[in-house]
Amino acid sequence: MSSRARKAVGRNVLRKEGHDKVTGAARYIDDLTFPGLLHARTIRSTIPAGEIVKVRFKGDRAGFTLVDHHDIPGRNIVALIDEDQPCLAERKIRHVAEPILLLVHEDREKLRAADVQIEYRPSTPNYDPERSAITFKKIAIDKGDLDAGFAAADVIVEGEYRTGLQEQLYIETNGVIAVPGSSVAGAAGGITVYGSMQCPYYVHRALVILLGLPAGKVRVIQTETGGGFGGKEEYPSMMAGHAALAALKTGRPVKLVYDRVEDMLATTKRHPSIVRHRTGVTRDGRLTAIDIDAVLDGGAYATLSAVVLSRGMIHAAGPYRCDHIRIRGRATMTNTPPNGAFRGFGAPQTQFAAEVHMDRIAERLGLDPVRVREINALRPGDTTATGQRLGKDSSALQVLREAVTRTGFRKRRRALAGTNRGIGLSLFFHGSGFTGAGEVKLAAKASLALTHKGARIHVASTEIGQGTRTMLAQIVADALGVRYDDVDVNAADTGEVPDSGPTVASRTCMIVGRILERCAEEMRARLGRLTPRQYLRAFGPLVITKQYERPAGMVWDDTVYKGDAYGSYGWGCDVVEVEVDRDTYEVRPTAFTTVHEIGKAIHPMLAVGQIEGGSAQGLGYAILEDVVMRDGRMANATLTNYIIPTSLDTPPMQVVLLENPYPHGPSGAKGVGEMPIDGPAPAVINALRHAGFDLREIPATPERVMLTSSVESTQRTPRTPRKSQAWV
Amino acid sequence: MKAFAYVNPTSEKEAVAALKTDGIAMVIGGGQDLLSRMKDYIDSPDRVVNVKGLDATVTATSDGGVKIGSAVKIVDLAEHAAVMSLYPSVAAAAIEVGTPQIRNQGTVGGNINQRPRCWYFRNEEFVCYKKGGSRCFAVNGENQYHAIFGNDGPSHIVHPSSLAVPFVAYGAKFRVLGPNGEREIAAADYFTMPTLANVLKENVLDDEDILTHVILPAPGNVKHGHYEVRYKQSHDWPLAFTTVVLVMNGVNGTSGANGTSGSTIRSARVVLGAVAPVPWRSRPAEDALAGKALNEATAALAGEAAISEAKPMSGNAYKIQIAKTAVKRAVMRAAGIKTV
Ligand SMILES: Cc1cc2nc3c(=O)[nH]c(=O)nc-3n(C[C@H](O)[C@H](O)[C@H](O)COP(=O)(O)OP(=O)(O)OC[C@H]3O[C@@H](n4cnc5c(N)ncnc54)[C@H](O)[C@@H]3O)c2cc1C
Ligand code: SF4
Repeated sequence: MSSRARKAVGRNVLRKEGHDKVTGAARYIDDLTFPGLLHARTIRSTIPAGEIVKVRFKGDRAGFTLVDHHDIPGRNIVALIDEDQPCLAERKIRHVAEPILLLVHEDREKLRAADVQIEYRPSTPNYDPERSAITFKKIAIDKGDLDAGFAAADVIVEGEYRTGLQEQLYIETNGVIAVPGSSVAGAAGGITVYGSMQCPYYVHRALVILLGLPAGKVRVIQTETGGGFGGKEEYPSMMAGHAALAALKTGRPVKLVYDRVEDMLATTKRHPSIVRHRTGVTRDGRLTAIDIDAVLDGGAYATLSAVVLSRGMIHAAGPYRCDHIRIRGRATMTNTPPNGAFRGFGAPQTQFAAEVHMDRIAERLGLDPVRVREINALRPGDTTATGQRLGKDSSALQVLREAVTRTGFRKRRRALAGTNRGIGLSLFFHGSGFTGAGEVKLAAKASLALTHKGARIHVASTEIGQGTRTMLAQIVADALGVRYDDVDVNAADTGEVPDSGPTVASRTCMIVGRILERCAEEMRARLGRLTPRQYLRAFGPLVITKQYERPAGMVWDDTVYKGDAYGSYGWGCDVVEVEVDRDTYEVRPTAFTTVHEIGKAIHPMLAVGQIEGGSAQGLGYAILEDVVMRDGRMANATLTNYIIPTSLDTPPMQVVLLENPYPHGPSGAKGVGEMPIDGPAPAVINALRHAGFDLREIPATPERVMLTSSVESTQRTPRTPRKSQAWV
Repeated sequence: MKAFAYVNPTSEKEAVAALKTDGIAMVIGGGQDLLSRMKDYIDSPDRVVNVKGLDATVTATSDGGVKIGSAVKIVDLAEHAAVMSLYPSVAAAAIEVGTPQIRNQGTVGGNINQRPRCWYFRNEEFVCYKKGGSRCFAVNGENQYHAIFGNDGPSHIVHPSSLAVPFVAYGAKFRVLGPNGEREIAAADYFTMPTLANVLKENVLDDEDILTHVILPAPGNVKHGHYEVRYKQSHDWPLAFTTVVLVMNGVNGTSGANGTSGSTIRSARVVLGAVAPVPWRSRPAEDALAGKALNEATAALAGEAAISEAKPMSGNAYKIQIAKTAVKRAVMRAAGIKTV
């Protein structure tokens, strides 16, 4: 093999699909069509809770096919974790926009005009997650002896923090096409589903269960996908089921593509949270006890709430050392559309609370916010809330110090004091890969096939705009010793690629990338001195498949939530300056610096892109993005009134990458996709606190800031710390 | 959206004639509003009549004003030299509309005649007064962006046009062409407060009328100020905004050290946007300004006076503070005093 190939890792190589996207050649789901294509429309509930009494189709039924739960050959569930969510409602309605039946017709306009009336027997909905009768999941994390921790405290600080819903707002709305009969090897009675998605094998499994088909008769192919942010983790399984049922019933290809309003009304969002902190701290700023109670609003069905809660709780204490911790979390049901995966997956909610609370602790002690964090930041060798002993690749202090130096934080803080501006920071971390034993259970696989020039990657990991194909090809190119251009990537097609798991949890680079790196290392050894072409001529095809291997020494006990929750963590620190208009209460971020330690930036430009995009999304979460729910229904489900930041609303961003390699990641890489969204919201709220506004809830809309200012309190002057039962 | 016929007239007269049909005909300028309404099935016209081919020029009038063709793009209005020097508040309003894409495509005629942004109006499922129904959902629903003035109903929208406000403030006339010929209407009379009889529309245009021109009179010895408060900086409408046009006594432009004008205000036009179903002329604010020295204290008084008439809805009292600030800062801008 040639060792002259220029290293690809660490270079800003051209994106694999960049040319097609820029020239418009890339084909998204709504660009595709098939002979005899029909369209489907989803008829949804208009009440938040109750029962269906009667369904009536009014008018001429010619040319229409109706699909309801009677048409389901297998089990009427959207298979995920729990089995509580029907693919099509039978009788019970648990939220507005719950799918009840599908109408199919070849003409989209006729489909729209069709009049289906549903009679209901409504019942009383519950929208309060704290008063819910149904708990999807509870998690308890205990470390040390909480009472002892509080006994050692000089001061106790308490607070309650709330975060709202957030919509993922990928540019391409959800869509699928189901084609009957053309399944793997043309097997009759099978089904092929194309679609915009993050997790082809989730969809595959859901279809097998819904349709009662053998796995070999179901094939799922990801089409070019215009963004996901978690929003295409679980919902495509539901849609694929709908389209597949319609395709099987009509015997023709069926397209189901949502418009923006339907996508926003019906699909998953970020879980709202209520997080309460009670913290013991010594006079000089050492954390002695952390007691956290959190509730996530799961919406009407369990979807991924259990695992969102899990990640949220593991990150709830923030990147801080403390010997005595108690964390209690639950995800409960309300009569709103189910909440689900969204970049960050529970961690943005709980770290928002932790970081705003940290500034309040600093304020209470009369310490500066950097100092309290320096004292308590997790260092290598420390243990986390789950008792995980951190390795050398733990960088809380480095990112903090780098951010403080780069921004001249303390000096700026003094300079801005008493003006209409404020500066705040947040320190955060984010575990890469599935939580706990997740990766072991999943046992992800990846394959590498030798080609005449190099190799072809076979993984189910999807390119959703974040650069999966590019980054994986870079890793393989270097490990195999070929040029980046000589590595190509197969479509994420379950008929052709092994199950490398879902494209979520910041796991694609660290976990799947590492498996591929091992494949490439073995392939290189097998080739010896031969070129790929020589090898193929001499020995025929070569495909190497490998499975995830747990790094030695990693342990996790799911029953008590103890052990190594993640293989590694990324570390970040954000510094935000805001300007507040004291007449109109507009909040404007004016400067933003973020330091991210991510192990190794395989493609620095893509990594910075993830950080800038995630940070902007985090700023939106903090200030602008307000999902208005009324009677269990999103009232502002359009792009003109659910507003996200544009470049004009985003301050110039200074992104600093640090690299502290993780020994079991490809070239030392950890995950980077989610972490950027953990930091901005608390940093903004802390900056507002510095400017005199005591907010505990996001988004910080002008109305909320105005209300806060009217109760602006004396808490701004730090009191003399004393052992106290007087809660702040 | 529903399929429709497309007509591309070459003259004003042809355009008006093309609006006559048994079905529903609608005029399209830049389409930035109409197309999104069609996609959302708020409107489903059978025929769409393009008026981008009509007058797209800004020309000087004999009395020292300008005449603006309805097909002028918002961006061209914002960057027009005569508009920028004679009517800086028109240019200021134009440059803040929507996004660069919307300003490049949107027209003056379309901007003035765009339909309300009320969430219920824009949602097919809610058949409110404005869509022929018999209730206003905003009253007991989401009304955080609705009117704080002129709230007698039946509709509580805020008029969405940014350009309408400075046009009213500068005393513009609108030229309208219909089947029975042309007429000129004062901008202030063009927009209508809702009644049960007229609630389906926001202005006096009939179904077969088109707006062809905006005619601005010579501004005279005035000072101008325009101030918008926006939730976000692009891709959004203002929460509240104000144009003030001040007719000054004596010599123009002698400013004191602290930004205080040497001259006093003879009379004022104060028009607020995004706060009422029409561009809202505030007589109390105008009275508060007349005869006063132009300075920050006067500006604050005008702000206070403006909101004396406010009657907020259940969820939008916060807009009073914003409207007050917009008036105050527009006057400060007219005085050349730095705002924030
Ligand atoms: C995200 C976003 C932000 C926006 N922000 C703002 C803002 O800040 N301020 C603001 O003012 N607007 C704003 N808009 C609205 C936009 O500016 C207007 O929709 C645009 O100016 C309309 O111009 P147009 O030529 O594209 O109108 P069209 O969509 O072509 O027409 C609008 C309406 O006017 C009618 N019409 C058009 N021309 C004539 C005519 N000559 N005679 C009679 N009727 C006519 C049409 O039938 C239609 O009903 C925003 C829009 C969006 C999507
Ligand atoms: S404010 Fe006007 S447009 Fe909105 S719901 Fe009421 S009547 Fe309809």
